[in-house]
Amino acid sequence: MSRPGFVLDVDERTPPLLMHQGEGFRLERLPLGAKVIYPPDSLPGIRNVDAAIKHALLNPHGTEPLPELLTPGMRLTIVFDDLSLPLPPMQTPDVRQRIIEQVLEMAAAKGVDDVELIAGNALHRRMTPAELRRTVGDRVFQAFFPDHLKNHDAEDHDNLLHMGKTKHGEDVEINRRAAESDLIVYVNITLTAMSGGAKSVSVGLASYKSLKHHHNVHTLRHSNSFNDPPNSAMHHSYERMKGLIDEHVKVFTIETTLNNETFPSSMGFLNKREWEWNVRDQASYVAVKRANELLPAKTRRRIWQSTAAPYGVTGVHAGLQSEVHPITLSNVHRQQLTEVNGQSDVAIYGLPYICPYNVNSVMNPILVMSLGLGYFFNLYKNKPIVRQGGVAIFYHPVPNEFHPVHHPSYIDFFEEILTESTDPVLLETKYEEQFATDPWYIQLYRNSYAYHGVHPFYMWYWGAHALEHLGDVIFVGGNRKTTARMGFRSATTLADALEMAKDTVGSSPSITYQHAPPLTLADVR
Amino acid sequence: MSIRREVKLLRHGRDWRGRSTVPKSAQPHELEHEEREFPTAWARTRTAVRARAGLRRTLLKPVVWSQTTPVVEGTEYLDGVRGPVVFVANHTSHLDTPLILGSLPERFADRVAVGAASDYFFDVRWRATLTAIFFNAFPVERYGSRRLRSLALDLVDEGWSLLLYPEGTRSEDGWMNPFKLGASALCVTKGIPCVPIALRGSYAAMPRGRNWPQPGKPRVTVRYGRPLVPEEGEDVRAFRVRMAKAVSQLAAEEDLGWYGALRAAADDRLEVPGGARSVRPGALAREEPTAERAGESKAGKNGKTGAGAGEQVAHWRRIWSSTEPLGEKRRKVWRD
Repeated sequence: MSRPGFVLDVDERTPPLLMHQGEGFRLERLPLGAKVIYPPDSLPGIRNVDAAIKHALLNPHGTEPLPELLTPGMRLTIVFDDLSLPLPPMQTPDVRQRIIEQVLEMAAAKGVDDVELIAGNALHRRMTPAELRRTVGDRVFQAFFPDHLKNHDAEDHDNLLHMGKTKHGEDVEINRRAAESDLIVYVNITLTAMSGGAKSVSVGLASYKSLKHHHNVHTLRHSNSFNDPPNSAMHHSYERMKGLIDEHVKVFTIETTLNNETFPSSMGFLNKREWEWNVRDQASYVAVKRANELLPAKTRRRIWQSTAAPYGVTGVHAGLQSEVHPITLSNVHRQQLTEVNGQSDVAIYGLPYICPYNVNSVMNPILVMSLGLGYFFNLYKNKPIVRQGGVAIFYHPVPNEFHPVHHPSYIDFFEEILTESTDPVLLETKYEEQFATDPWYIQLYRNSYAYHGVHPFYMWYWGAHALEHLGDVIFVGGNRKTTARMGFRSATTLADALEMAKDTVGSSPSITYQHAPPLTLADVR
Repeated sequence: MSIRREVKLLRHGRDWRGRSTVPKSAQPHELEHEEREFPTAWARTRTAVRARAGLRRTLLKPVVWSQTTPVVEGTEYLDGVRGPVVFVANHTSHLDTPLILGSLPERFADRVAVGAASDYFFDVRWRATLTAIFFNAFPVERYGSRRLRSLALDLVDEGWSLLLYPEGTRSEDGWMNPFKLGASALCVTKGIPCVPIALRGSYAAMPRGRNWPQPGKPRVTVRYGRPLVPEEGEDVRAFRVRMAKAVSQLAAEEDLGWYGALRAAADDRLEVPGGARSVRPGALAREEPTAERAGESKAGKNGKTGAGAGEQVAHWRRIWSSTEPLGEKRRKVWRD
């Protein structure tokens, strides 16, 4: 049995602890008495994943086995999570490939001809053919690409279907092909508690018109946190939309969960607790760190981006989403949940090189903000690990770099909009519509590989809850100009950051460091 | 950061093998597991007995006798004794066992096993091994927490004599503590004799916390008493009292002389540890503090501080009385 997560009290016996810091990492000695939240040890993966998938498809929860749902002449649409999941991408074969292959084998046996595969990328950038191939595997790619294996296009209005409005007046508009299918098979990876469930179809296949009802400042400020669906206004909205979708089309969901094997064996020390590092781990720490620092920036990024995680699959469950998702969530909690006793004055997070929106791309300052104040800050249940008015200290260099192809609207957002204000509400009311409907951004989203024009706004809203909650935000090692532009501060060392935090939390604050990745979900009591 | 500083940071708190100390909060919870008893049977084989006799003659006794001035009395009481016996002694110092083993007649010294605290002497392998080879020690469970089955009964059956310290531990201040029941129970159930031994001066020579005797060859006395045999129908508690009295009487001989101690015991004037009360070895009941100060009573001669018995005596006075040098003889540096 793998060990559960736990909270370390830093004492004089504690060795320096590892911090991720963008495309690099470092050891840091935390002040005595600081708390460190560690995730449970990686759970053992399922040995025979293919058998588990087959079992799940033949014994689904709340519905007939998949083969019984397949009939000759039916319209079958297979939708899968895009490249924002998992992080880092998993070593091939991807679990989505394994599932899709088995679904297609069953469909072929039942004589289903009309099959369409769609990546549920919503307003994310399109996946390149190479990325699609990596996700679904060679056989599927060759058989379906490009005519029947596509990215979802949220701006192709002919191929969107407005299903109606929820009782809260939320528009539900999703991919027409999927909506008019006899069956949607959704292939999901639930990496964090926010993913999967009602989110899959209602977000992955939606348009801006539909997304703006939950991707907004108000909803996100009332999602405490969005990793805790019962307390997330965002997920309540997803549920309402899903209710409407279910009236129109049958969805067969296959949800998978992964363990915490986030880094390959060459960087195995990143998966281990520091006092358990053996000589080999220490040697590879020094070697990898030194090599990483000596590499040219481009090569360094290429190497980090080509890192693939040797994830093990901890669960495959299929059937009705409402019955499958609770099981999936319990699997996620089993791997990530750590109970924490009380909030602290200061929270520390080491931000890694990757977030959902910079796979094979560049982590720009907006994405750093969204990763830190959005994703990491919200890795909690019940209460944030830092008290209201406390300080968050992030480790990241926050370089002033943008990927011009993937993130064109981010550049304008950073250069023109953030110079005016960093207030999410103001940005939302004043500029969101303009960016969302800009024909050039739409053109780039549909035909190039750009994120939608409105996406940087969503990133900013993602941190809206944290911005409201926190008294100060400090980036250790952060670029002074970019952090200042976003309304944050930068410090050279942790000692400096704590000195700067004095004004807000006093001279002897309680400190909690959330040790991630591998991901930890703090259950704060 | 330079690679040297990087390595220095990485090495922080790690030993030469690169192993880090484990933070207290990260130490795994260990379930209480049944402690496996350290095997000591090998220390009672013929070879081990010979080796131990060699070590005793060439190492243990010469070293102890060179560092202290032992006075041994009463070994003649052992002449007629046959078969396994239980030696019981008061216990104040790590010197006690070497003094007794060194002063016992060879036929007993080779056939005696020493009861040693399992939590102290048998906690790590190297110490257990050394204790077993030098003293033929066997583990004794003092607090009954782990419920080890005692080897004592088996050893007696095999014909080994035992050396036990019924107080259970070395005295904190040189005073005698109440005896536990174990040794007495053993004698009564097996019907074997008990030989009382009193040690004086070993606390002053090497109290708790020292690992080598005080310089100046301090005088220590080892007195053997007449063997006590449990009488028909005598119960364990009564025999324990007899045992404690016998040890107290021997201890008092240091101050009162043989006959004085006999008289004091006959008049029931000796202080005997019991209940929760510890007493100064050789102390008399109803000691008059004024008489002591004036040096009028015999007991006062060496009990100058007047500390006799009871809980009311200050800690320092206990230690003070326990560390008084025995006898008047000083080491002669110059000829008379």
